[in-house]
Amino acid sequence: MPANATASALSDPAWMRRLLIATALTFLGLFLLLPLVAVFAEALRRGVFAYWVALVEEDALAAIKLTLIVAVIAVPANLVFGVAASWCVTKFDFRGKNLLITLIDLPFSVSPVISGLIYVLLFGLSGLLGPYLKSEGIQIIFAVPGLVLATIFVTFPFVARELIPLMQEQGSEEEEAALVLGASGWQTFWRVTLPNIKWGLLYGVLLCNARAMGEFGAVSVVSGHIRGYTNTMPLHVEILYNEYNFVAAFAVASVLAMLALVTLVAKTALEWRFGAELAATRHK
Amino acid sequence: MAIQVQGITKQFGTYRALDSVDLEVRSGELLALLGPSGSGKTTLLRIMAGLESPDAGSLQLNGEEALGLKPRDRQVGFVFQHYALFRHMTVFDNVAFGLKVRPRDQRLPAAEIKRRVMELLELVQLGHFAERYPAQLSGGQRQRVALARALAIEPKVLLLDEPFGALDAKVRKELRRWLRKLHDEIHITSVFVTHDQEEALELADRVVVMSQGRIEQIGTPADVYDHPSSAFVYEFLGQVNRFDCTVEGGVARIGNGALSIATDETVRGSGVAYVRPHDLGVAPAVGGPGRVSGVHVVGPDARVEIELDGLNLEAEMDRERFTSLGMVVGDRCTVQIDRARVFAR
Repeated sequence: MPANATASALSDPAWMRRLLIATALTFLGLFLLLPLVAVFAEALRRGVFAYWVALVEEDALAAIKLTLIVAVIAVPANLVFGVAASWCVTKFDFRGKNLLITLIDLPFSVSPVISGLIYVLLFGLSGLLGPYLKSEGIQIIFAVPGLVLATIFVTFPFVARELIPLMQEQGSEEEEAALVLGASGWQTFWRVTLPNIKWGLLYGVLLCNARAMGEFGAVSVVSGHIRGYTNTMPLHVEILYNEYNFVAAFAVASVLAMLALVTLVAKTALEWRFGAELAATRHK
Repeated sequence: MAIQVQGITKQFGTYRALDSVDLEVRSGELLALLGPSGSGKTTLLRIMAGLESPDAGSLQLNGEEALGLKPRDRQVGFVFQHYALFRHMTVFDNVAFGLKVRPRDQRLPAAEIKRRVMELLELVQLGHFAERYPAQLSGGQRQRVALARALAIEPKVLLLDEPFGALDAKVRKELRRWLRKLHDEIHITSVFVTHDQEEALELADRVVVMSQGRIEQIGTPADVYDHPSSAFVYEFLGQVNRFDCTVEGGVARIGNGALSIATDETVRGSGVAYVRPHDLGVAPAVGGPGRVSGVHVVGPDARVEIELDGLNLEAEMDRERFTSLGMVVGDRCTVQIDRARVFAR
């Protein structure tokens, strides 16, 4: 029997394949591509000039700056926390380990609005620590620290979730080998552990960053929506939209969309460029 | 360097991996820790390396208490069962690792490190593979890289955890010979863990047989094979026929008395007798008590299965002798025990 006859016996008929592909593409187009195009179309409806004006407007710039500030603090913080958490979950045995793993997942399972509310209840004026913070003159809620805290909380699982399965699969034999060969704990981390997890770590950081910039719910609760001060980009988009300022709303939204696209392209580029190395570090 | 293990005990949860183990590893010898899985042999090795800490007992390396020392301060080379090569480093960098992570004041100059690494790679016959990555090597080659890496730090002791466990039979045999030769050349005190009795008997100067966290017997390969000190060692080392017997007045009767063994043991009452297949003499005899129930001739040896009074025996002889006896399945025969060992129940 010729080889291609075997191949056709094992695969679905052509009409079936076409139907499946068409269905998948229709869904993708309808639910992903069309909205994306709509964002840019709406943003540019009054022309490039109006688009540009909406972006360089004072409050919009402040929102973009604030979003970047929050991300610049939240992402590195979660990078460190995520690596530390994965390290201790995968390399050590201790009581309450399962509880820790569950806690790491908590931000995923809790509604972002609740996450925000937790901080209001903790640090708000009538909250648990509110009176003390007020007497010390520290403002957390309706200020940048609250935004950062809420964002860190919501994006905490991304890095750890990416690393834990990877590090579990890799085991700790290489670290043990390094220790026996005379490396210190620090050297072992930098020379053995980190190179083995770097691509997983990068994935986690990219996803974490995307969410940190795009987070709405938790941030909305703690922000107070003070224009030019505590409005991040997603919040600013909402305000503009509610004011029927569609061009400006979509213009800012398009910047967010572009950030997401850049993240995706970066991820794909990394996969394409380092595919072989990625596969090598994932499997023994 | 000699290793002294005294009263080492290690508990994992409710499971006692090591139960007050005493052991002396002599300077320059090649010692095998042999036992089934779960016997504690790997745990003992890891304790020597400092990768595990015991609950009780003491460990001396060259006469100095070592339990307080970190792995890096013990000057041991450790070869892992699955090699544990650094997958993101080349073979060269793997071997050089131990030299490169030394504190600056003890570190050799780069040129010297390079010379040393290449020398080691030549020693393990992998000089041409310096720029390869572990994933591009075969199992045997990886194992030799792991060995070179362990030797690079000039350890006083070499510890190997199932060094040939993950290799196929042919490579395993080659590498075993090669390791023996290497040890004869560099005479480094070495301890290796294995569950393969053939490997332990062929390779080691002395064999430590372990079971359930305890040492059953220590001796030269010939010692432990010819004079097992316990029923466990008898069963674990080599093929053996095991019979329930009753001992009375220095004679062990097997089954209904179809076979009997003279025993000078201080055993009385019910016991267990062990007979190696090559210690069973079989001769064809018309109307004999035994019946040949199976014959396997592979390679230079012949294995003959015999039914005798409800017992199933296994005898072994060389092929020529078997051919000269001219027995086939179904023949009657006599069975004679040349050598046996009886343990009390």
